[in-house]
Amino acid sequence: MSAVVAEFRRNRLSLSYVIVVALLILLVAAGGFLSDRFLTWRNFGNLFQQLVVLGMVSLGQTFVVLLGGIDLAVGSLVGASTVFIAHFLEWRPDLLWLALPLALIAATAIGALNGLLTIVLRVHPLIVTLGMSSIIFGATLMYDKEPGGSVPRGLADFSYANLWGIPVTAIVLVAIFALAGLWLQRSRSGRSIYFVGGDREAARLNGLPVNRIVVMAYALSGLCAGLAAIFLTARTGVGDPRIGTALTLQSITPVVVGGTILAGGRGGVLGTLLGVLLVTMLNNLLNFLNVSSYYQWVIQGLIIIVAVSIHTTRRRQ
Amino acid sequence: MAPLETPLPRSRGVSVASIFERYGLIVFLVALLLVAAVLSPTFLRPANLVNVLTIAAPLGMVVVGQIFVILVRGLDLSVASLMATVAVLATAFKATTNDAIPMIFAAAIAFSAVVGLVNGWLVAKRDVSPFLATLAMMIILQGVRFAYTGGAPISTLPPGMGFLASGRILGIPVNLITLALLAIVFGIVLHRSRLGREIFMVGSNPKAAFLNGVAPDRVIILCHVICSVCAGIGGLFLLGYVGTVSNWVGQGYELDSIVAAVMGGVALTGGRGNIFVALLGVAVLVVINNLVLLLGFPIEMQLIIKGIIIIGAAAFYRTRLA
Amino acid sequence: MVTPVIELSRIEKEYPGVKPLDRVDFAVRPGEIHALLGENGAGKSTLIRVMGGAIRPNGGSMTYLGKPVSWQSPKQARAAGIHVIHQELALFSELSVAENILVDAQPRNALGLISGRARHARAAEILAQLGVKISTHAKIDELPLADQQMVEIAKALVGEVRLLVLDEPTAVISGREVDLLFDNMRRLKREGVGIVYVSHRLEEIFEIADRVTILKDGQVAGTGPVGDLTRDEMITKMVGRRLEQIYPARRKAPAGGPDILKISNLRAGHRVRDVSFAIRPGEVVGIAGMVGSGRTEVAEVIFGTRDLDGGTIEFDGTRLDRRMPREAIRNGVGFLTENRKDEGLFLGLPISANVMAPDLAGVTRRGLIDRRGEREIALEQIRNFAVAAPSPEVKVGNLSGGNQQKVLFGRWSRIARKLLILDEPTRGVDIGAKVEIYRIVRNLAEQGVGILMISSELPEIIGLSDRIFVMSQGHVAGEIDGASATEEAIMDLAVRSLDRRESTAARLEQVA
Repeated sequence: MSAVVAEFRRNRLSLSYVIVVALLILLVAAGGFLSDRFLTWRNFGNLFQQLVVLGMVSLGQTFVVLLGGIDLAVGSLVGASTVFIAHFLEWRPDLLWLALPLALIAATAIGALNGLLTIVLRVHPLIVTLGMSSIIFGATLMYDKEPGGSVPRGLADFSYANLWGIPVTAIVLVAIFALAGLWLQRSRSGRSIYFVGGDREAARLNGLPVNRIVVMAYALSGLCAGLAAIFLTARTGVGDPRIGTALTLQSITPVVVGGTILAGGRGGVLGTLLGVLLVTMLNNLLNFLNVSSYYQWVIQGLIIIVAVSIHTTRRRQ
Repeated sequence: MAPLETPLPRSRGVSVASIFERYGLIVFLVALLLVAAVLSPTFLRPANLVNVLTIAAPLGMVVVGQIFVILVRGLDLSVASLMATVAVLATAFKATTNDAIPMIFAAAIAFSAVVGLVNGWLVAKRDVSPFLATLAMMIILQGVRFAYTGGAPISTLPPGMGFLASGRILGIPVNLITLALLAIVFGIVLHRSRLGREIFMVGSNPKAAFLNGVAPDRVIILCHVICSVCAGIGGLFLLGYVGTVSNWVGQGYELDSIVAAVMGGVALTGGRGNIFVALLGVAVLVVINNLVLLLGFPIEMQLIIKGIIIIGAAAFYRTRLA
Repeated sequence: MVTPVIELSRIEKEYPGVKPLDRVDFAVRPGEIHALLGENGAGKSTLIRVMGGAIRPNGGSMTYLGKPVSWQSPKQARAAGIHVIHQELALFSELSVAENILVDAQPRNALGLISGRARHARAAEILAQLGVKISTHAKIDELPLADQQMVEIAKALVGEVRLLVLDEPTAVISGREVDLLFDNMRRLKREGVGIVYVSHRLEEIFEIADRVTILKDGQVAGTGPVGDLTRDEMITKMVGRRLEQIYPARRKAPAGGPDILKISNLRAGHRVRDVSFAIRPGEVVGIAGMVGSGRTEVAEVIFGTRDLDGGTIEFDGTRLDRRMPREAIRNGVGFLTENRKDEGLFLGLPISANVMAPDLAGVTRRGLIDRRGEREIALEQIRNFAVAAPSPEVKVGNLSGGNQQKVLFGRWSRIARKLLILDEPTRGVDIGAKVEIYRIVRNLAEQGVGILMISSELPEIIGLSDRIFVMSQGHVAGEIDGASATEEAIMDLAVRSLDRRESTAARLEQVA
């Protein structure tokens, strides 16, 4: 018994998970109690549909935050990628097989550039990604200010496809999260993110290729932004430079709610997935209850504060 | 006993670096002004210059406050949201005469102070990172504001509010006088007063500050209050400039104020910076924005240039002081 | 003649304006513990970095196991079997012991995935080799410093190690932990590993090292078997001249007057269980004991940075109601903390601001700082404590360790009219600066200040203290007169275990 307790103490993180899971259960119960349409397959299908984009971007954010950094360029990058995809496909709808990989490669490269700049210029990631966000956003707007472009039928269908009543996109998302979790916990390169995030100087002294790991994490964040853009374009059918604006800050909430601390080195993707579920489900429920989106903002702000307070208090004990 | 330690860097070298740090920006600004004057004949016209400065004033006020928070290793993302909220608050009096203006100011300052107090409390007492605390505050204020206005604020303002932007005393625009007053008062607080010294101590090393008898929590909370109050005042002046209340008065000022401070040599790691140099950062930012317009570039170009400049400036100060 | 593990010849390293290494010859044989001595700034750490591949020399040559080499990166040197343990431990505090030991060599299963079970098994195996009992599941920040150091050494044993470099490993540990470290060094030595050992503590050199090389201003000032040099000769070579007397003369008459500080039955957390003692004006009281014996915690309780669970503290016969650093400072108490960079200095601020930090009221006129007054005070302290700095405007971060420490003395000597608490006042400071600091301490005592000095360096405790308290497991285990104290007597008290009942109670408390 004491061994179990000790294991729990050691793994303070899992307790954070327990709290988030408990909140989720509470939410589902409350939802079922307050609205008879909440606990339906149909609603859950919608809900999963909704959380795919946020989930993808938050996953990317998790890698960077684990590293002790932050990526404020994801929103602009998502917007720019949707514009690229939609306009490319409007031009050549037959080149879907080329457009999507190209978009992913470009997004990954821009992410990598973020990481590279933090290293080469030794400037705080907040500043680098903020600056890059401004540059990307400005460049996208110069290309096209309004939503435009189109996507071929096949891509749109994919976004609404269901498998056993579950949206395919949600299945893809969960699969990506599982892969990311396995990679972070059980692979050498994945683990190294924890090392660098925990103590960059120590990582360097231990002979880890710190710079490569930093670039890799930011590149992954870019890749996730690119994937999110694919989901998003498939659904909306257009490329919209402004569509990602709110995503940047939104993507941070699930990460911190899931117990990944901004200082780096602690947390994981499971927490982020739970965080995304919690945030999306809460908004979904509030919609059912006809709570105005204005109050949803207030609630989201309170969630950040409460979640961070809980996690920091746990850490201090 | 003779010194046995390794040789010191000579003090002259240190002060040369700091002079360069201070005047490098002035040189840059002057060069920018020259370029502007050459490229665009309209730039140096008084009307344009006044226009530039009028735009700069509210941002300058926000920057004066933002510095306080950055100096204690924080940052405030809620300033812009606060500006808009204060603007909405100004309509709450449904005032049609100028008698209400002092009350509007009093209410705005009191409200801002409370917001700053909450931010500071979260950061200092609850250990919430400044980024997240003020991010949450930004969203909460946004929600409260929209909920109050129902999405579309009714712009009932005393006619005198426009004076904040266009008024002059002895030929000097009121908003510049106010900015100068704010900068001088808070400049003295920061660079000459005991509280200012405590701010630098906390920013430089919070643990050591505590062991030297300073209460870091109190200092951090005060910095947040000062920041929010400055942002609130800036919000009213911006409202005067814009003329009509919207839910997005001041949008982008949270980032612009941080950009200007960083460009003005304020270190995000805390404990290093100067109010007056930071205001030069504001000038550079605003002149660049103006230049982009005067040269007939699309306004989106401002975003690109701003992005390059913030990264470049941060890298510049990093290498200068490494 | 055996081939040396590593042999450096005429190694040079030059930066603009400084030459940390000037034609240095240095060799380590297999199975040899080679001590590297020198003041701060003499070039020891540069030499270590050259060997470990972190710095590339400008000139000279290096052979490793008989072959000429020139490392391109620390990684390459490590792969070849060179393991450097830096003063600042390179550990990840949030991660487990096992993960730390196997940072870059995590065992993987057939699928190429890291296996947690194999990781712990392998880590436990290595720790067993070292003869230490540390849970491989524990997180680093849950371990005492000494155990953390063992983890760092365990990392060296993961791959093949031929040359082990230890940079001041005993700076943060004491007593039994040092013994354990030395046992392990001897064991590695028997296995033929070459060991480079850097330390400021000469006593340790005589105990553990076979040969010694002394660096002075980037050049080799002497090298040879340890037995060939006396302690005084080593010091002379390090400093470049004789130090007639390291410790200033003790005061003749016993200190008189009423107690400046009197603490009774102090309890705080599980580190301070029951501590009582008193200090009179003008006396230097040393506190010895293992790291973790509660020494620092007692100081923190006195200064008001740690909560008090029971007992009383009296300054000048009056009890303090509010316990905050501010109150202690107001009552004439100064605290020079153990970790000057983390807790003492404002590295980005000038000397003047650092000196005046605890006494802002003293230079504030109508709410504003009197800059001229502040400058004058700072200048005076720079002169008083011989800080090597051209002006009070110099940022403290630009000063050397010894000068930084003197700035702290400049700060606290003004505040500590009654009591000055010193926690490891000479850590990381070279012997020349140490001697200066000893004089400063004695001078302050002569002026009537009570000094409470915590130190892990027994010679320093013995050489400087009028009275010595030895702490063990949160208690004062005994008091020894400074003039007649011996290291043996202190160690005897420091390791004396408490009676069974008490220690069981203590353990229960720890569990709870």
